[in-house]
Amino acid sequence: MAFISMETIDKSFHQVRVLNQVNLDLVEGEIHALLGENGAGKSTLMNILGGVLQPDSGTIYVNGAPVSITTPADSQKLGISFIHQELNVVSDLRVYENMFLGSEIRNKTGFPNVKAMKQKTEDVLSRLGVSLDPSAYVRDLGTSHKQFIEISKALLRDSSVIIMDEPTTALSDHEIGRLFELMTTLKESGVSIIYISHKLKEINEICDRYTVLRDGFIAGTGSLEEEDPESITKMMVGRSVSQERFTREHEPGDEVMRVEGFSKTGLFHDIDFTIREGEIAGFTGLAGDGRTELFEALFGFRKKDSGSLYVHEKKVAVNHPNQALRAGIGLVPKDRKENAVIQDLSIVHNLTLSSLRHFEKGGFLTKKQERKAFKQYKQDLNIKAHDPKALIASLSGGNQQKVVIAKWLEVNADVIIFDNPTQGIDVGAKREIYQHIVSLAEQGKSIIILSSEAPEVLKLCSRIYVMYKGEITAGLNRDDTAEDEIMAYATGSKRMVESIG
Amino acid sequence: MAEPQFEPQQSAKSQAEKRNWLSWLWAEYSVIIAFVIIFVLAAVLNPRFLDINNQLNILMQVSIIGIVSLGMTMVMLSGGIDLSVGSVLAMVGVMAVLALNATGSIPAALLAACVVGLAAGFINGVLISKGKIASFIATLGMMSAARSIALYTADGGSVSGEVNGFSAIANSELGLVDYPIIIFLVMTALVYVLMNHTRFGRYVYAVGSNERAAVLSTIRVDRVKIAVYSIAGFLVSIAAIIETSRLNSISSSSSGQLYELDAIAAVIIGGTRMTGGRGKVIGTFFGVLILGILNNMMNLMNVSPHLQGLVKGLIIVVAVLFQKRD
Repeated sequence: MAFISMETIDKSFHQVRVLNQVNLDLVEGEIHALLGENGAGKSTLMNILGGVLQPDSGTIYVNGAPVSITTPADSQKLGISFIHQELNVVSDLRVYENMFLGSEIRNKTGFPNVKAMKQKTEDVLSRLGVSLDPSAYVRDLGTSHKQFIEISKALLRDSSVIIMDEPTTALSDHEIGRLFELMTTLKESGVSIIYISHKLKEINEICDRYTVLRDGFIAGTGSLEEEDPESITKMMVGRSVSQERFTREHEPGDEVMRVEGFSKTGLFHDIDFTIREGEIAGFTGLAGDGRTELFEALFGFRKKDSGSLYVHEKKVAVNHPNQALRAGIGLVPKDRKENAVIQDLSIVHNLTLSSLRHFEKGGFLTKKQERKAFKQYKQDLNIKAHDPKALIASLSGGNQQKVVIAKWLEVNADVIIFDNPTQGIDVGAKREIYQHIVSLAEQGKSIIILSSEAPEVLKLCSRIYVMYKGEITAGLNRDDTAEDEIMAYATGSKRMVESIG
Repeated sequence: MAEPQFEPQQSAKSQAEKRNWLSWLWAEYSVIIAFVIIFVLAAVLNPRFLDINNQLNILMQVSIIGIVSLGMTMVMLSGGIDLSVGSVLAMVGVMAVLALNATGSIPAALLAACVVGLAAGFINGVLISKGKIASFIATLGMMSAARSIALYTADGGSVSGEVNGFSAIANSELGLVDYPIIIFLVMTALVYVLMNHTRFGRYVYAVGSNERAAVLSTIRVDRVKIAVYSIAGFLVSIAAIIETSRLNSISSSSSGQLYELDAIAAVIIGGTRMTGGRGKVIGTFFGVLILGILNNMMNLMNVSPHLQGLVKGLIIVVAVLFQKRD
């Protein structure tokens, strides 16, 4: 009998279904892989089990009895521990202090019983086969040790179910091996693990059963022994992927930008590629592939160790975004709210922020010219805004993104890099943004799209680069590739032998 | 996996807009409303308050702190704070008097003052932007260092000008209006234009609101910050010249004491957000006037000077309580 089972779970955000009649069965002492593309609903489902979110309908059973999990504390009481992708450790505290944070053992006088806590910490850690000084500061430890602390915390609470959300993204192969040994030990002691990962190789190695989510539906579930990576990938991607392509009629022109040997220890290395006039190139990969960091370095926002950048055959030094702008490179960053918009400035002031020199006359800004530019872009990009003087935060995500794009159009950059351009944007605005990007390429701009969604780059880009752990593992032409091939390169299960670029 | 975001429902929009507009009105003009209330209250409580000489007296008294507050406004809009203004004012004053007495030339004294103030601000700016030191710490260091330099140079006492005409700067008037008032008003206008009608001003707001996005918008954030602290230092120089000229002397130990707190208070009462990015030069102007009226009123009503700090403290806290929070 299933130990935990979630039955017919439904969940919507703003009238959009993200989970549709989803079932998940977990038996005692198994490692269960939860698979799916970004946005398939994995995190939502796990947040429901962890008590962070409430389902709209459906029931969760533990040992056959229905339970209600309304807070994370409820979930913990049932023996469920959730290890999030971002580790929740306090780096300025010691190992044992982290371990017992919020549930310190006290002695009779009410002071923390350090000795007992250290002892228990040591016990748990040795159970995991990790030798670690309980009074070491967490800030001095590596990521894998931090991960082990999180797992130990789960063990201290006598958890019977541990949810791990992509635990291996920051780990080296050696550390992954250790984690897997530990997971096997846990499994043998009767603990069940729900393992979320994109890396099919790992899944095959460690997991017993799987459940695949696609667009909020269950796409398949069963024993991994009967499946191979290919069939699982098919399930994740789906056979009826929208084949819509935004194609362009013209051929790309001369080389505009060339990147040679870009490296930064731990983030990306030996990156070479070129981009031509009117070309749309895509960079895709999974979390931790280093593409965002690479292009932040190219844009001068981040330091690099080595590498040269040529624009129109001329070598340019870019150590600050301002130099990138002068070289004709623009970047529409991801995480709009943190990186791209200035919340306290109005719509029009956000639009003109990078090109204020265009609106200067005798050292003063001409607000009339700024408003005129806004009117033009409002029409061109179909920005839905009544009052240019309103704060940018009053716009919806899609319209904010259009303002950010307009900002770079006004700069008139030759190369525009879009990092995750459709993040948090509804479907209609997405389409519009795709069309604008294509029309920019038609006007001769060179476009680079960074996206974790393979369908997005397939839709837009004629040339696709796949990255894995800071390396370009493949350079593909759109017409000769498909989503499952991209996935294979992105998960590291396949790589091109010859040099690419 | 990011959850999708969606546009708000259309139906609720117009009502929300109306509410937004009201809160905008309050957020933008609350300091002026508060100023009017306090002004009327003062006029009712004491008939001598409205006397033109008393009014000019208030302006005269706030002119020095007012000029310092203008610089503080820029610093705080950029997301920082400048604790060194009071000490730098004393140091600039001492240096100006020394230069005056050594050369016998008033322009030389003014030049020395401006150079010293600018240099102190420039050092603050470099420490904060290039050295990546929190503005609180960097300017705390400058506060201590500048006071120490002033004390050492003046041997812990006061220095007095020995050149005729230097005291005329702050003690002359145009019609009824004293020069310091005029200087204050002109400086307010200049800083207003700088912050609202130039590229630099726009950059300062952007840096204070979201430094990361400002860098990604290709703004040279380092240079903007250095300029902001330098201008703040320059404005302190102007204030120091008035302060020194007023009595033709400056005290290395007591001049400028706690000016940083008065200036910060005026900026905060004026509605500038502590963390930067939002606020107005005009708000600071009225914040300065509110503090001036309160002092004046308490003097007219013979409130013990020992109680005046309490009232000032209350006003600061109430002002922030009532400001729109987000």
